[in-house]
Amino acid sequence: MTHTFFIAASYALVLLGFGALVLDAARRHASAKRLLAELDPRGDRP
Amino acid sequence: MTRKKRRLYILLLCGLGLGSATALTLTAFQDNLVFFRSPSDIMREAPPANRAFRLGGLVEAGSLERATGADGKPTANFRVTDGAHAIRVSYAGVLPDLFREGQGVVTLGTMLPDGSFRASEVLARHDETYMPPEVADALKRAGHWNPAQGAAPPPAEWNTAPRRGG
Amino acid sequence: MTAKADSSPSGAAPGARSLHRFANPGRFLRASARVQTWLWAAAALVLGAGLVWGLFLSPADWQQGQTVRIMYVHVPMAWLAMGGYTALAVASIMSLIWRHPLADLFARELSPVGALVTALCLATGSLWGRPMWGTWWVWDARLTSVLVLFFLWLGHAALTRAFEDQERGARVGAILALVGIVNIPIVKFSVDWWNTLHQPASVTRLDAPGMHVDILYPLLTCAFGFSLLFGAVVLARTRAAVMERRIRALQLARARREEAAGA
Repeated sequence: MTHTFFIAASYALVLLGFGALVLDAARRHASAKRLLAELDPRGDRP
Repeated sequence: MTRKKRRLYILLLCGLGLGSATALTLTAFQDNLVFFRSPSDIMREAPPANRAFRLGGLVEAGSLERATGADGKPTANFRVTDGAHAIRVSYAGVLPDLFREGQGVVTLGTMLPDGSFRASEVLARHDETYMPPEVADALKRAGHWNPAQGAAPPPAEWNTAPRRGG
Repeated sequence: MTAKADSSPSGAAPGARSLHRFANPGRFLRASARVQTWLWAAAALVLGAGLVWGLFLSPADWQQGQTVRIMYVHVPMAWLAMGGYTALAVASIMSLIWRHPLADLFARELSPVGALVTALCLATGSLWGRPMWGTWWVWDARLTSVLVLFFLWLGHAALTRAFEDQERGARVGAILALVGIVNIPIVKFSVDWWNTLHQPASVTRLDAPGMHVDILYPLLTCAFGFSLLFGAVVLARTRAAVMERRIRALQLARARREEAAGA
Protein backbone atom coordinates (compact mmCIF):
# COMPACT_ATOMS: atom_id res chain seq x y z
CA MET A 1 0.00 0.00 0.00
CA THR A 2 2.36 2.69 -1.11
CA HIS A 3 1.01 5.80 -2.65
CA THR A 4 4.23 7.36 -3.85
CA PHE A 5 2.44 9.76 -6.17
CA PHE A 6 0.28 11.24 -3.41
CA ILE A 7 3.23 11.62 -1.03
CA ALA A 8 5.49 13.14 -3.68
CA ALA A 9 2.77 15.53 -4.84
CA SER A 10 2.11 16.70 -1.26
CA TYR A 11 5.76 17.42 -0.51
CA ALA A 12 6.30 19.00 -3.92
CA LEU A 13 3.34 21.37 -3.46
CA VAL A 14 4.45 22.45 0.01
CA LEU A 15 8.09 22.93 -1.04
CA LEU A 16 7.07 24.85 -4.17
CA GLY A 17 4.67 27.04 -2.20
CA PHE A 18 7.16 27.89 0.52
CA GLY A 19 9.99 28.23 -2.01
CA ALA A 20 7.99 30.84 -3.90
CA LEU A 21 7.21 32.67 -0.64
CA VAL A 22 10.85 32.71 0.46
CA LEU A 23 12.13 33.87 -2.94
CA ASP A 24 9.51 36.62 -3.19
CA ALA A 25 10.18 37.85 0.36
CA ALA A 26 13.96 37.84 -0.18
CA ARG A 27 13.64 39.67 -3.51
CA ARG A 28 11.35 42.35 -2.08
CA HIS A 29 13.51 42.77 1.01
CA ALA A 30 16.73 43.11 -1.00
CA SER A 31 15.32 45.58 -3.51
CA ALA A 32 13.75 47.73 -0.78
CA LYS A 33 17.05 47.77 1.12
CA ARG A 34 18.97 48.76 -2.00
CA LEU A 35 16.55 51.54 -2.95
CA LEU A 36 16.50 52.88 0.58
CA ALA A 37 20.29 53.00 0.68
CA GLU A 38 20.22 54.95 -2.59
CA LEU A 39 17.60 57.45 -1.49
CA ASP A 40 18.82 57.98 2.04
CA PRO A 41 22.51 57.04 2.25
CA ARG A 42 23.01 58.55 5.71
CA GLY A 43 19.87 57.13 7.27
CA ASP A 44 20.59 55.02 10.31
CA ARG A 45 19.10 51.78 9.17
CA PRO A 46 20.46 48.26 9.32
CA MET B 1 -7.04 57.21 26.63
CA THR B 2 -10.81 57.24 26.97
CA ARG B 3 -11.13 56.89 23.22
CA LYS B 4 -9.01 53.76 23.30
CA LYS B 5 -11.07 52.41 26.22
CA ARG B 6 -14.28 53.13 24.31
CA ARG B 7 -12.99 51.35 21.23
CA LEU B 8 -12.05 48.39 23.41
CA TYR B 9 -15.54 48.20 24.92
CA ILE B 10 -17.22 48.51 21.54
CA LEU B 11 -15.02 45.69 20.26
CA LEU B 12 -15.80 43.47 23.26
CA LEU B 13 -19.53 44.12 22.85
CA CYS B 14 -19.39 43.29 19.13
CA GLY B 15 -17.46 40.12 19.94
CA LEU B 16 -20.07 39.09 22.48
CA GLY B 17 -22.91 39.66 20.01
CA LEU B 18 -21.11 37.91 17.18
CA GLY B 19 -20.18 34.95 19.38
CA SER B 20 -23.69 34.39 20.69
CA ALA B 21 -25.21 34.83 17.23
CA THR B 22 -22.84 32.19 15.88
CA ALA B 23 -23.56 29.81 18.75
CA LEU B 24 -27.32 30.20 18.19
CA THR B 25 -26.99 29.65 14.45
CA LEU B 26 -24.85 26.55 14.91
CA THR B 27 -27.32 25.12 17.44
CA ALA B 28 -30.23 25.83 15.09
CA PHE B 29 -28.54 24.11 12.15
CA GLN B 30 -27.16 21.26 14.24
CA ASP B 31 -28.92 18.62 12.15
CA ASN B 32 -27.53 19.91 8.86
CA LEU B 33 -23.98 20.06 10.17
CA VAL B 34 -23.94 16.35 10.92
CA PHE B 35 -22.13 14.58 8.13
CA PHE B 36 -23.52 11.11 8.85
CA ARG B 37 -26.08 9.43 11.10
CA SER B 38 -25.41 6.48 13.36
CA PRO B 39 -27.49 3.27 13.48
CA SER B 40 -28.99 4.47 16.78
CA ASP B 41 -30.09 7.71 15.11
CA ILE B 42 -31.81 5.65 12.39
CA MET B 43 -33.53 3.42 14.96
CA ARG B 44 -34.77 6.44 16.88
CA GLU B 45 -35.98 8.34 13.85
CA ALA B 46 -36.52 6.41 10.64
CA PRO B 47 -35.38 8.36 7.58
CA PRO B 48 -37.88 8.88 4.74
CA ALA B 49 -37.84 6.05 2.20
CA ASN B 50 -35.88 6.55 -1.03
CA ARG B 51 -34.08 9.56 0.40
CA ALA B 52 -30.30 9.21 0.25
CA PHE B 53 -28.41 9.90 3.48
CA ARG B 54 -25.10 8.94 5.08
CA LEU B 55 -24.84 6.13 7.58
CA GLY B 56 -21.70 5.91 9.69
CA GLY B 57 -20.23 3.70 12.38
CA LEU B 58 -17.80 0.84 12.81
CA VAL B 59 -17.69 -2.23 10.58
CA GLU B 60 -18.85 -5.00 12.90
CA ALA B 61 -16.26 -7.71 13.61
CA GLY B 62 -16.90 -10.88 11.61
CA SER B 63 -19.68 -9.37 9.53
CA LEU B 64 -17.81 -8.70 6.28
CA GLU B 65 -18.57 -10.94 3.29
CA ARG B 66 -16.90 -10.19 0.00
CA ALA B 67 -18.17 -11.66 -3.26
CA THR B 68 -18.13 -11.03 -6.99
CA GLY B 69 -21.38 -9.83 -8.52
CA ALA B 70 -22.98 -11.12 -11.72
CA ASP B 71 -21.34 -8.32 -13.71
CA GLY B 72 -17.90 -9.23 -12.37
CA LYS B 73 -17.75 -6.23 -10.02
CA PRO B 74 -16.77 -6.90 -6.41
CA THR B 75 -19.57 -6.68 -3.87
CA ALA B 76 -19.46 -6.48 -0.10
CA ASN B 77 -21.97 -7.11 2.67
CA PHE B 78 -21.23 -5.97 6.21
CA ARG B 79 -22.89 -4.56 9.28
CA VAL B 80 -22.35 -1.02 10.53
CA THR B 81 -22.61 -0.70 14.29
CA ASP B 82 -22.32 1.98 16.92
CA GLY B 83 -22.32 -0.45 19.82
CA ALA B 84 -26.04 -0.21 20.57
CA HIS B 85 -27.51 -1.02 17.16
CA ALA B 86 -26.31 -2.42 13.86
CA ILE B 87 -27.57 -2.08 10.28
CA ARG B 88 -26.83 -4.43 7.41
CA VAL B 89 -25.18 -2.71 4.43
CA SER B 90 -24.77 -3.98 0.88
CA TYR B 91 -22.36 -2.35 -1.54
CA ALA B 92 -21.15 -3.05 -5.07
CA GLY B 93 -17.78 -1.55 -5.90
CA VAL B 94 -14.20 -1.31 -4.72
CA LEU B 95 -13.72 -0.67 -1.01
CA PRO B 96 -11.14 1.95 0.07
CA ASP B 97 -7.70 0.90 1.39
CA LEU B 98 -8.43 1.59 5.03
CA PHE B 99 -11.64 -0.45 5.02
CA ARG B 100 -11.52 -3.36 7.47
CA GLU B 101 -13.50 -4.84 10.32
CA GLY B 102 -13.40 -2.68 13.42
CA GLN B 103 -12.68 0.43 11.32
CA GLY B 104 -14.96 3.44 11.00
CA VAL B 105 -16.88 3.89 7.74
CA VAL B 106 -19.25 6.42 6.26
CA THR B 107 -21.61 5.11 3.59
CA LEU B 108 -23.98 7.01 1.31
CA GLY B 109 -27.19 5.33 0.19
CA THR B 110 -30.84 4.57 0.95
CA MET B 111 -32.78 2.29 3.28
CA LEU B 112 -34.41 -0.72 1.64
CA PRO B 113 -37.87 -1.96 2.69
CA ASP B 114 -36.29 -4.90 4.54
CA GLY B 115 -34.48 -2.54 6.92
CA SER B 116 -31.06 -2.93 5.35
CA PHE B 117 -29.03 -0.16 3.75
CA ARG B 118 -27.97 -0.10 0.12
CA ALA B 119 -24.76 1.95 -0.23
CA SER B 120 -23.66 3.64 -3.43
CA GLU B 121 -20.46 4.99 -1.88
CA VAL B 122 -18.29 3.75 1.00
CA LEU B 123 -15.65 5.97 2.62
CA ALA B 124 -13.22 4.70 5.24
CA ARG B 125 -12.94 6.80 8.35
CA HIS B 126 -9.52 6.98 9.91
CA ASP B 127 -9.26 6.86 13.70
CA GLU B 128 -6.85 9.11 15.55
CA THR B 129 -4.38 6.33 16.37
CA TYR B 130 -0.97 6.40 14.70
CA MET B 131 1.61 3.72 15.43
CA PRO B 132 4.35 1.82 13.62
CA PRO B 133 3.41 -1.68 12.42
CA GLU B 134 5.80 -3.31 14.92
CA VAL B 135 4.02 -1.66 17.83
CA ALA B 136 0.62 -2.75 16.52
CA ASP B 137 1.93 -6.29 16.07
CA ALA B 138 3.40 -6.34 19.56
CA LEU B 139 0.10 -5.20 21.04
CA LYS B 140 -1.82 -7.83 19.07
CA ARG B 141 0.62 -10.56 20.08
CA ALA B 142 0.41 -9.58 23.73
CA GLY B 143 -3.35 -10.03 23.48
CA HIS B 144 -4.01 -6.41 24.38
CA TRP B 145 -5.89 -5.60 21.27
CA ASN B 146 -7.73 -7.12 18.37
CA PRO B 147 -8.16 -4.39 15.72
CA ALA B 148 -11.35 -6.03 14.45
CA GLN B 149 -12.95 -5.65 17.86
CA GLY B 150 -12.52 -1.91 18.15
CA ALA B 151 -10.22 0.95 18.96
CA ALA B 152 -6.65 0.58 20.15
CA PRO B 153 -5.98 0.48 23.91
CA PRO B 154 -5.41 3.84 25.62
CA PRO B 155 -2.21 5.44 24.32
CA ALA B 156 -0.69 5.56 27.80
CA GLU B 157 -0.30 1.78 27.54
CA TRP B 158 1.83 1.81 24.42
CA ASN B 159 2.98 5.27 23.63
CA THR B 160 5.86 6.02 25.96
CA ALA B 161 6.86 2.39 26.27
CA PRO B 162 10.09 1.39 24.52
CA ARG B 163 9.53 -0.47 21.29
CA ARG B 164 9.19 -4.19 21.54
CA GLY B 165 9.34 -6.86 18.86
CA GLY B 166 9.55 -5.82 15.24
CA MET C 1 15.11 57.33 11.37
CA THR C 2 14.41 59.85 14.09
CA ALA C 3 13.69 63.49 13.35
CA LYS C 4 13.24 62.82 9.65
CA ALA C 5 9.59 62.28 10.39
CA ASP C 6 8.73 65.74 9.11
CA SER C 7 9.25 64.43 5.60
CA SER C 8 6.07 62.45 6.14
CA PRO C 9 3.53 62.92 3.36
CA SER C 10 0.63 62.98 5.82
CA GLY C 11 1.18 66.57 6.82
CA ALA C 12 -2.36 66.74 8.16
CA ALA C 13 -1.61 64.30 10.97
CA PRO C 14 -0.60 65.74 14.36
CA GLY C 15 3.15 66.16 14.62
CA ALA C 16 3.66 63.96 17.65
CA ARG C 17 1.74 61.09 16.15
CA SER C 18 3.55 61.12 12.82
CA LEU C 19 6.85 61.20 14.70
CA HIS C 20 5.83 58.16 16.66
CA ARG C 21 4.80 56.58 13.42
CA PHE C 22 8.22 56.76 11.82
CA ALA C 23 10.34 56.41 14.93
CA ASN C 24 8.76 53.12 15.79
CA PRO C 25 9.36 51.40 12.41
CA GLY C 26 12.98 52.53 12.51
CA ARG C 27 13.49 50.81 15.80
CA PHE C 28 11.61 47.81 14.45
CA LEU C 29 13.91 47.56 11.42
CA ARG C 30 17.04 47.66 13.56
CA ALA C 31 15.78 45.20 16.13
CA SER C 32 14.38 42.74 13.59
CA ALA C 33 17.55 42.72 11.47
CA ARG C 34 19.35 40.54 13.99
CA VAL C 35 16.33 38.39 14.76
CA GLN C 36 15.82 37.77 11.06
CA THR C 37 19.21 36.16 10.46
CA TRP C 38 18.72 33.73 13.33
CA LEU C 39 15.18 32.98 12.27
CA TRP C 40 16.20 31.98 8.73
CA ALA C 41 19.06 29.84 10.03
CA ALA C 42 16.93 28.10 12.66
CA ALA C 43 14.13 27.50 10.13
CA ALA C 44 16.51 25.91 7.62
CA LEU C 45 18.07 23.72 10.29
CA VAL C 46 14.92 22.51 12.05
CA LEU C 47 12.82 22.11 8.92
CA GLY C 48 15.60 20.31 7.09
CA ALA C 49 15.99 17.87 9.97
CA GLY C 50 12.21 17.45 10.35
CA LEU C 51 11.58 16.76 6.66
CA VAL C 52 14.39 14.20 6.41
CA TRP C 53 13.16 12.55 9.61
CA GLY C 54 9.55 12.48 8.45
CA LEU C 55 10.20 11.46 4.88
CA PHE C 56 12.98 8.88 5.33
CA LEU C 57 13.72 7.94 8.92
CA SER C 58 10.32 7.64 10.60
CA PRO C 59 8.38 4.36 10.47
CA ALA C 60 5.29 3.71 8.35
CA ASP C 61 1.88 3.54 10.03
CA TRP C 62 0.29 0.17 10.70
CA GLN C 63 -2.85 1.13 8.75
CA GLN C 64 -1.86 3.91 6.39
CA GLY C 65 1.54 2.60 5.42
CA GLN C 66 3.81 5.20 3.81
CA THR C 67 0.92 7.60 3.19
CA VAL C 68 1.18 8.70 6.83
CA ARG C 69 4.13 10.84 5.70
CA ILE C 70 1.71 13.32 4.12
CA MET C 71 0.71 14.17 7.69
CA TYR C 72 4.15 15.69 8.36
CA VAL C 73 3.33 18.51 5.95
CA HIS C 74 -0.48 18.56 6.25
CA VAL C 75 -0.76 18.98 10.03
CA PRO C 76 1.81 21.84 10.30
CA MET C 77 -0.07 23.67 7.52
CA ALA C 78 -3.33 23.25 9.46
CA TRP C 79 -1.78 24.49 12.71
CA LEU C 80 -0.19 27.47 10.93
CA ALA C 81 -3.45 28.33 9.19
CA MET C 82 -5.20 28.54 12.56
CA GLY C 83 -2.31 29.96 14.60
CA GLY C 84 -1.57 32.52 11.91
CA TYR C 85 -5.20 33.58 11.87
CA THR C 86 -5.12 34.06 15.64
CA ALA C 87 -2.06 36.30 15.15
CA LEU C 88 -4.01 38.22 12.49
CA ALA C 89 -6.84 38.76 14.98
CA VAL C 90 -4.42 40.02 17.65
CA ALA C 91 -2.87 42.43 15.13
CA SER C 92 -6.37 43.57 14.17
CA ILE C 93 -7.24 44.34 17.79
CA MET C 94 -4.00 46.33 18.12
CA SER C 95 -4.85 48.14 14.92
CA LEU C 96 -8.43 48.98 15.89
CA ILE C 97 -7.86 49.95 19.53
CA TRP C 98 -4.33 51.39 19.63
CA ARG C 99 -4.08 52.30 15.93
CA HIS C 100 -0.66 50.69 15.85
CA PRO C 101 0.81 51.31 12.39
CA LEU C 102 3.08 48.28 12.47
CA ALA C 103 0.10 46.04 13.21
CA ASP C 104 -1.53 47.24 9.97
CA LEU C 105 1.54 46.43 7.90
CA PHE C 106 2.00 43.09 9.64
CA ALA C 107 -1.62 42.07 9.00
CA ARG C 108 -1.39 43.12 5.36
CA GLU C 109 1.77 41.07 4.82
CA LEU C 110 0.50 38.11 6.86
CA SER C 111 -2.71 37.34 5.00
CA PRO C 112 -1.29 36.22 1.61
CA VAL C 113 1.06 33.86 3.47
CA GLY C 114 -1.84 32.58 5.56
CA ALA C 115 -3.95 32.05 2.45
CA LEU C 116 -1.19 30.01 0.82
CA VAL C 117 -0.66 27.90 3.92
CA THR C 118 -4.39 27.18 4.18
CA ALA C 119 -4.50 26.26 0.49
CA LEU C 120 -1.59 23.87 1.06
CA CYS C 121 -3.42 22.37 4.03
CA LEU C 122 -6.48 21.72 1.85
CA ALA C 123 -4.42 20.36 -1.06
CA THR C 124 -2.31 17.98 1.01
CA GLY C 125 -5.40 16.86 2.92
CA SER C 126 -7.08 16.08 -0.36
CA LEU C 127 -4.03 14.12 -1.53
CA TRP C 128 -4.22 12.11 1.71
CA GLY C 129 -7.99 11.66 1.56
CA ARG C 130 -8.07 10.19 -1.94
CA PRO C 131 -6.07 7.02 -1.13
CA MET C 132 -7.13 6.74 2.55
CA TRP C 133 -10.79 7.74 2.75
CA GLY C 134 -11.54 7.05 -0.87
CA THR C 135 -12.49 10.62 -1.77
CA TRP C 136 -10.76 13.91 -2.57
CA TRP C 137 -13.32 16.03 -0.78
CA VAL C 138 -16.44 15.81 1.35
CA TRP C 139 -18.58 18.60 2.74
CA ASP C 140 -18.18 17.66 6.38
CA ALA C 141 -17.90 20.26 9.13
CA ARG C 142 -14.08 20.16 9.39
CA LEU C 143 -13.31 20.42 5.69
CA THR C 144 -15.97 23.04 5.09
CA SER C 145 -14.85 25.23 8.00
CA VAL C 146 -11.23 25.11 6.78
CA LEU C 147 -12.44 26.15 3.32
CA VAL C 148 -14.20 29.09 5.00
CA LEU C 149 -10.90 29.90 6.75
CA PHE C 150 -9.19 29.96 3.35
CA PHE C 151 -11.78 32.41 2.01
CA LEU C 152 -11.34 34.60 5.10
CA TRP C 153 -7.58 34.76 4.48
CA LEU C 154 -8.16 35.58 0.79
CA GLY C 155 -10.83 38.12 1.65
CA HIS C 156 -8.52 39.88 4.10
CA ALA C 157 -5.66 39.95 1.59
CA ALA C 158 -7.96 41.39 -1.10
CA LEU C 159 -9.81 43.85 1.15
CA THR C 160 -6.71 45.47 2.67
CA ARG C 161 -5.46 46.11 -0.86
CA ALA C 162 -8.77 47.31 -2.30
CA PHE C 163 -8.68 50.87 -0.94
CA GLU C 164 -6.76 53.86 -2.23
CA ASP C 165 -6.31 54.93 1.38
CA GLN C 166 -4.17 52.21 2.99
CA GLU C 167 -5.28 53.08 6.51
CA ARG C 168 -8.91 52.65 5.56
CA GLY C 169 -8.12 49.30 3.93
CA ALA C 170 -6.35 48.19 7.10
CA ARG C 171 -9.37 49.22 9.22
CA VAL C 172 -11.86 47.30 7.06
CA GLY C 173 -9.53 44.29 6.91
CA ALA C 174 -9.17 44.28 10.69
CA ILE C 175 -12.95 44.20 11.11
CA LEU C 176 -13.22 41.28 8.68
CA ALA C 177 -10.42 39.44 10.51
CA LEU C 178 -12.18 39.87 13.86
CA VAL C 179 -15.56 38.77 12.50
CA GLY C 180 -13.85 35.73 11.03
CA ILE C 181 -12.29 34.70 14.34
CA VAL C 182 -15.53 32.87 15.26
CA ASN C 183 -14.52 30.34 12.63
CA ILE C 184 -11.37 29.29 14.53
CA PRO C 185 -13.11 27.43 17.39
CA ILE C 186 -15.45 25.95 14.80
CA VAL C 187 -12.49 24.54 12.85
CA LYS C 188 -10.86 23.25 16.02
CA PHE C 189 -13.89 21.63 17.63
CA SER C 190 -15.85 20.63 14.51
CA VAL C 191 -14.55 17.07 14.87
CA ASP C 192 -15.84 16.88 18.45
CA TRP C 193 -19.15 18.71 18.05
CA TRP C 194 -20.44 16.96 14.95
CA ASN C 195 -19.98 13.70 13.11
CA THR C 196 -17.32 14.30 10.52
CA LEU C 197 -15.36 12.15 8.12
CA HIS C 198 -12.20 13.83 9.40
CA GLN C 199 -10.66 12.11 12.42
CA PRO C 200 -10.52 13.86 15.84
CA ALA C 201 -7.31 15.43 17.16
CA SER C 202 -4.45 13.05 18.00
CA VAL C 203 -1.82 15.36 19.43
CA THR C 204 -3.76 17.91 21.48
CA ARG C 205 -5.81 15.43 23.45
CA LEU C 206 -6.41 15.70 27.17
CA ASP C 207 -4.92 12.26 27.84
CA ALA C 208 -1.76 11.03 26.12
CA PRO C 209 -1.39 11.74 22.39
CA GLY C 210 -2.87 8.93 20.29
CA MET C 211 0.27 8.92 18.23
CA HIS C 212 3.36 6.82 18.82
CA VAL C 213 6.45 8.85 19.71
CA ASP C 214 8.24 7.59 16.57
CA ILE C 215 5.60 9.40 14.53
CA LEU C 216 4.88 12.23 16.98
CA TYR C 217 8.44 13.59 17.29
CA PRO C 218 9.09 14.06 13.56
CA LEU C 219 5.66 15.72 13.32
CA LEU C 220 6.49 18.17 16.12
CA THR C 221 9.90 18.88 14.54
CA CYS C 222 8.28 19.59 11.16
CA ALA C 223 5.63 21.77 12.82
CA PHE C 224 8.29 23.78 14.65
CA GLY C 225 10.40 24.10 11.49
CA PHE C 226 7.46 25.26 9.37
CA SER C 227 6.49 27.75 12.10
CA LEU C 228 9.99 29.21 12.09
CA LEU C 229 9.95 29.49 8.29
CA PHE C 230 6.47 31.05 8.38
CA GLY C 231 7.69 33.57 10.95
CA ALA C 232 10.83 34.35 8.92
CA VAL C 233 8.83 34.91 5.72
CA VAL C 234 6.26 37.15 7.41
CA LEU C 235 9.01 39.12 9.19
CA ALA C 236 10.93 39.64 5.93
CA ARG C 237 7.75 40.77 4.18
CA THR C 238 6.87 43.17 7.01
CA ARG C 239 10.41 44.61 6.99
CA ALA C 240 10.18 45.06 3.23
CA ALA C 241 6.81 46.80 3.62
CA VAL C 242 8.21 49.17 6.27
CA MET C 243 11.13 50.04 4.00
CA GLU C 244 8.86 50.46 0.99
CA ARG C 245 6.71 52.92 2.91
CA ARG C 246 9.80 54.88 3.88
CA ILE C 247 10.92 54.85 0.25
CA ARG C 248 7.59 56.25 -0.89
CA ALA C 249 7.84 59.03 1.70
CA LEU C 250 11.39 59.89 0.64
CA GLN C 251 10.49 59.90 -3.05
CA LEU C 252 7.53 62.17 -2.36
CA ALA C 253 9.70 64.52 -0.30
CA ARG C 254 12.30 64.65 -3.05
CA ALA C 255 9.67 65.40 -5.69
CA ARG C 256 8.30 68.20 -3.50
CA ARG C 257 11.81 69.65 -3.00
CA GLU C 258 12.46 69.63 -6.73
CA GLU C 259 9.11 71.26 -7.36
CA ALA C 260 9.85 73.96 -4.80
CA ALA C 261 13.31 74.56 -6.30
CA GLY C 262 11.85 74.83 -9.78
CA ALA C 263 9.15 77.33 -8.80
